[in-house]
Amino acid sequence: MAAPPALGIVATLKDAFRTVPGIVGGGMLVALLAMVVIVPIYAPFDVVSTWGDVSAWVDNPRLAGPEWSDIFVPGTLPRTITIQPEDFRKTKVVSETFGITTIVLRSTFDFSADYFPGELTFRLFTTFKDITPLVSVQLERPDGETVELLRTTPENQAPTANSYPFSQTITVPETLRNIRAWATSNFNATDVAFPKPEVTLFAEGGEDMLDPHRARLMRGEYGIRVIAVAFDSEDNIDGRFLVFGRVFGLAGTDHLRRDLLTGILWGAPVALAFGTVAALIVILTQTVFGAISGWYGGRTDEAVQRASDFFLIIPILPILILISIFYRPSIWAILFVVVAFSLVGGTSKVIRSIVLQVKQEQYVESATSYGASKIRILFKHIFPRVMPYTFALIALAVPAYIFLEASLAFLGLGDPVLPTWGSLLGTAYNNNAMFNGFWWWIALPSAGIIFATVAFALLGYSFDKVLNPRLREQ
Amino acid sequence: MAFGRYLIKRGVLLLITLVLAVYVSVIIANFGGFIDEILKGQIAFAVRTSLRADPDYAALPDDVQEEIFRVRFEGMVEARGLNEPFLPKTIRYTIDALQLKLGRAIVLTDAAGSDQIADIILERLPRTLILFFTADIIAAAFGIWLGMKMAHRAMSPMDRGLTVLSITTFVIPPWVFGIYFILIFGYGLRIFPPGGFLTTPPPTDPWLYTADFMYHLALPLGTVVFAIFGSWAYTTRNLVLQVMDEDFVMAGRAKGLSEGAVQRKYVLRAASPPIVTALALTLVGSWFGAIITETVFNWPGIGLLYFQAIQVFDAPIIIGLIAVYAVLLVATVFVLDLTYGLLDPRVRATRGA
Repeated sequence: MAAPPALGIVATLKDAFRTVPGIVGGGMLVALLAMVVIVPIYAPFDVVSTWGDVSAWVDNPRLAGPEWSDIFVPGTLPRTITIQPEDFRKTKVVSETFGITTIVLRSTFDFSADYFPGELTFRLFTTFKDITPLVSVQLERPDGETVELLRTTPENQAPTANSYPFSQTITVPETLRNIRAWATSNFNATDVAFPKPEVTLFAEGGEDMLDPHRARLMRGEYGIRVIAVAFDSEDNIDGRFLVFGRVFGLAGTDHLRRDLLTGILWGAPVALAFGTVAALIVILTQTVFGAISGWYGGRTDEAVQRASDFFLIIPILPILILISIFYRPSIWAILFVVVAFSLVGGTSKVIRSIVLQVKQEQYVESATSYGASKIRILFKHIFPRVMPYTFALIALAVPAYIFLEASLAFLGLGDPVLPTWGSLLGTAYNNNAMFNGFWWWIALPSAGIIFATVAFALLGYSFDKVLNPRLREQ
Repeated sequence: MAFGRYLIKRGVLLLITLVLAVYVSVIIANFGGFIDEILKGQIAFAVRTSLRADPDYAALPDDVQEEIFRVRFEGMVEARGLNEPFLPKTIRYTIDALQLKLGRAIVLTDAAGSDQIADIILERLPRTLILFFTADIIAAAFGIWLGMKMAHRAMSPMDRGLTVLSITTFVIPPWVFGIYFILIFGYGLRIFPPGGFLTTPPPTDPWLYTADFMYHLALPLGTVVFAIFGSWAYTTRNLVLQVMDEDFVMAGRAKGLSEGAVQRKYVLRAASPPIVTALALTLVGSWFGAIITETVFNWPGIGLLYFQAIQVFDAPIIIGLIAVYAVLLVATVFVLDLTYGLLDPRVRATRGA
């Protein structure tokens, strides 16, 4: 059998990046590395460390698709409209005679999307001395109607917000009662079993306005007015009004309102780090053992080969799943286990067979003849010779390890803190994202995994092509 | 008889490997007694619950109550063999597992309610086999056919395109495609059921039952075939390209044989040993490597069983599955060695040395 071509790593890389798969794979890898660079800018670590903290994401819409999903539907989907405390015009009237302070907040917003908003929420920040103020929240419609959404006495002092999610009709039943009464009395609307506040409030007045399936949207300028009656001149109120959209950002949100783009971007460094580090350590260790096995021969060879058989028979994924269930290890502990179970294996067999061929080449024989020690030849001649192959094997092994991590994370056994592509997919799967048609939650993280693995597969293939010239013959 | 000696040596080594692999799995599955503690906790809970349901028991004085509890608890622990020291217990587990005396499951049962692990595995095994054996065979046949076509027109646009497709599909595991295909065909287009292996309730008529089963099989089968045919095509292509330059192939052409005959009689035959090895190992490996694919498709086979067993800490099932897998794998490797030695004198010479 002909000896493998003698190419240095640099020459191999140069040749590999001249092939089409090499260029495409390399380009994809560069794109991934760019993602790794963008991550700290878009979502610094203190953002992603709040991934498990539900309260950090409350101002995002829930289960919103990406903003570009407009292209799949006629018209535009609503974006989230946020009216911040500083957007409100505040008027405060203190009446010394009655000991009453009246505070009015008012702001307007333009609603011009072609679909009803997703949810309505008002957050009220109050400072009061002894007695809680009486607060009324009202919505002004383009047709001149005003609907009182809620009349309440807020209990929390600022900065803790009093949250009123009007669309959650169980939490705030009063809103729905008010809307029903208003729609039936002012517009003769037909009552239905489950009206939605965010639909009826933004619907054209008429018989169908309570029915979420038949109501017609009314575009125009809406206003939000908050009137508070307080009992101390120092009392104050501020508000934030959220008209949640149905789309958010580039990747949408999940069931806990988390920005999926943060998770997907963070998945890149995690997958790249895990995949490349695992592939590097495992393939290099196996190369060393394979080279030793082929070069020294005899009992050493026998021992390494039997150990390889042993490691090949041990089912690694089932055992990893077992360990993950019991110990919930971090991603680096998982990496350690992976390495521990792959000290020798398939790669050491491949490298051994290459070394067996290299062994018979003339320069190795001449090195032996001028008295070079075995270990010197191993390091000076054998290792440099097999390194390009190791390189190709590393590139081809990276996808396998990226998917190993993704598989564990998919089963909910990955790193407990970091969002990874696999854990995003697993959460989506467990929350029936497929059944409910939340396609972005499934398609985008898995596109991330596929992109990364295809990049490495193409790179490995281009190395393979350079190193095995027979593959391009004919 | 060098080959005989080689076979014996190989057999002994494989046996040692098998024993070690199963023993390691047993140790991990027990986690140094961690599982035993969980099991004891479960037994204590079960005993207390059953005693509390008995009004006569509640009337007894406290120390008598405690005594009754202790006797029952220890009896149960004894019966399950949980009070043995760690080392003898793991060795006993290993020996039982190697003899495929799989024993009883702790939590899971088969559909008929049997807790015999052999029953549970035998109930699940056919489903996994039907899915993955069929998929492997279809993918192998299609992939080999495609690989030969690709090698025949090496470096043509068709070959380049299919090579890239093969490489990209075979690095991506079936479950990722599964998710996409379920999304598209199961929920989007609603052509196939998104999961499960029968409708509930299953049809009673045997023909309808089979049809229903096939209908549920189609999507996972198609997914697995799509995910693995590429590796067959690419491997075959490379093997065939290597063989095509050999002298005996040239000789075949020189004899004036048709290209098809040369391909079949010379090229494919020479390239077949590695293909057969790969096929045999895939067939054995496939029935275990499917944990997530089966989970995604909710396909109640061995892979899903393994995952369910881990979730409820059913260690005997875990050990049983790994043992059955290891025994099958080792047996396959041995049979492959044997066949190679018998078929190919070169292998006998080099491996026996």
